[in-house]
Amino acid sequence: MTRDAAGEDGLAEWQRLSPWAIGLTLMTTGVSLAREHLPLLLAAGAGLAVSDRVGLREALLGGGLLLVVALLLSLLYYRRFRFRFDADALVIQKGLFVHREFKVAAGHVQQTSVQQPAWMRPLGVVQWEVETLAGEAASISLPGIRCELAEALEARLGGAASRSGPTTTADEPPAPLERFAITPGALVLHGLTSRSLMVIAALLSPLVRPLERWLHDRLPQLDLWAWLPASPPLAVGLGLVAALAALMLLAVLAAWWRFHGYVLRDDGERQVQMSGLLHRRSLTLTLRRLQVVEWVQTGPGRALGRGYLVCHQFGAMAGGEVAEARRFLVPGLTAARADTLVPSLWPGRGASPSLTAPLQRVAGLYRRVLFLRLLLAMVAGLGLLAGVAGDGLAGLPAWSPGPVLMGLVALAAGLAHLRWRSLGWACRGDWLRVRHGLWGRRTSLFPAAHLLSLRVQQSWLQRRRGVVTLRLYLASGRLSLPFVEERVALALANRLLASVEGEATA
Amino acid sequence: MTHTNVPLDPERLPRLEEAPLTPVSPRLAPCQALQQLWRWWLLAVLARLVPLSEPPVADWQGRLAVGIAVLGLAMAVLAWFEARRRAYGLREHDLCYRRGLWVRRTQVLPLVRLQHVETLSTPLERAFGLVRLTCFTAGGRGADLVLEGLPAARAEAVKQHLLARLEAEPAAPEEQAP
Repeated sequence: MTRDAAGEDGLAEWQRLSPWAIGLTLMTTGVSLAREHLPLLLAAGAGLAVSDRVGLREALLGGGLLLVVALLLSLLYYRRFRFRFDADALVIQKGLFVHREFKVAAGHVQQTSVQQPAWMRPLGVVQWEVETLAGEAASISLPGIRCELAEALEARLGGAASRSGPTTTADEPPAPLERFAITPGALVLHGLTSRSLMVIAALLSPLVRPLERWLHDRLPQLDLWAWLPASPPLAVGLGLVAALAALMLLAVLAAWWRFHGYVLRDDGERQVQMSGLLHRRSLTLTLRRLQVVEWVQTGPGRALGRGYLVCHQFGAMAGGEVAEARRFLVPGLTAARADTLVPSLWPGRGASPSLTAPLQRVAGLYRRVLFLRLLLAMVAGLGLLAGVAGDGLAGLPAWSPGPVLMGLVALAAGLAHLRWRSLGWACRGDWLRVRHGLWGRRTSLFPAAHLLSLRVQQSWLQRRRGVVTLRLYLASGRLSLPFVEERVALALANRLLASVEGEATA
Repeated sequence: MTHTNVPLDPERLPRLEEAPLTPVSPRLAPCQALQQLWRWWLLAVLARLVPLSEPPVADWQGRLAVGIAVLGLAMAVLAWFEARRRAYGLREHDLCYRRGLWVRRTQVLPLVRLQHVETLSTPLERAFGLVRLTCFTAGGRGADLVLEGLPAARAEAVKQHLLARLEAEPAAPEEQAP
């Protein structure tokens, strides 16, 4: 895009949010406040107590007054919010009581996001968000702009980023190439194998006690006994299967909600993904900012041969798997499909190694250390349990501790072996791969030059046995390689440090 | 996007294990020991003064406080020895910091990853004439390397060297602002 063409989009002049943004700001703030405080007011009965104390009419009047104040504040916020492009920097001025000005250099953008919930579609407005090298914590949002303006911003940022990059592209960039589109079957499999199942189970867990109480009170009156099997274990088993089926259904629905119609497009130096059933979402990833690609397979995912890719950039927020949902994901992939996609995420870097290629294992001593740690933890747990149970265990036969201890030893040995086997690493060319995880596995792939810093760590035992723990600090977090032979670990550390320096001076 | 991939000879790479390290100031040892004593003895005083009415626990309150104080003394001795073993090294392309007594840790921060540097000191550190040098990188959630135990003049010199290096370093192609 040339400078003249860039000027035609009108972004050099101050732009405002869509007038609908006033209503949207009110609605999103109201929904957010209600979500945070309504359960407290309703559950604790504080709302009823307040309305009883001041009277319903007065409470409604107070609410109306608050609404008018909120409307006036939203109007003021709308008037103060403006943005424009100054050369290749997006300038945003906003603030209700404190005026703030933000400048986002196009070359420092690592991700943009466009979201359009269903109720925004008839209005033709979207929520637009930009994330810079400072990460999610410093992302800036334009809450409610016209679709055409969002497209112009994306085009302008893309064009400016290309100009500021190390190479220049042709005058007219090629049309985006579709890299991946999810099929309904893959979407269902992603729902079944993603971590949504666990997240939904955790979210619904507070409802278990009220449900149990309700069943206890109501079940005798509902005359369901005729429908239930006579055998109690069978009834419990069927109940568990029904609960699991319900969770699986919810997880599949969540996958459909988030990833319906998922398409990944290659737009030169950027990758664009679009998805969402009612809440449409478009994410644009600047490939020059990509730091680490992670291939994630949960336990069920390994059984069904499915996984997903997570693209990590600078400044990822803490929050583990919940925060991961906000990242640039490519869901519902087989390992072979993931292998074909990864090179397109690192253009110009040559062939990346296969995500599933064999890895080097850490020293066997790690397995023994894990075994001892697990065994000690299990014996301590069992001792604690026995202490709590007290006389309740008096009825057990005298020979029972023997088989229990044998079982614990076998369990600890099995777990230690599996955990040792799951951990692996490989350094091929200028690429490093690290895999970890017992049931679910995560394989991180990154160019060695993307290392931020490293730590070589040695305990007293490790010094005696000639092994070290190597900790690698990356933009996406920390990776650990425990109990690597000292000579190998130091050679790897020296090589990584040389790669970082070599790439910076290249 | 261009990329070169020149093969490296592992035998000719600079060796981390051979990096010359300089011990930090010997004044860090008493400073760390006092810090440990202050923390643990505060805990001991709290353990002694918390009003407990239950007879078995109340009877042991004094002994618990003494136990914590003795543990604090042991921790202070360990902190003294640990501080004496700390060392740092400033090489052409990276900054190294070694610490730890039982578990020895060597942190290496390539200077091309450095974004900004700051110095800070607590009142106790100022009393010993010590300054802490904190280094931050782009992707880190906090400080990536904290170099404790530098005399104020040395810390300032290292900081100025790092800042000069930051200014002189041409930004990597991918980090160039428009």
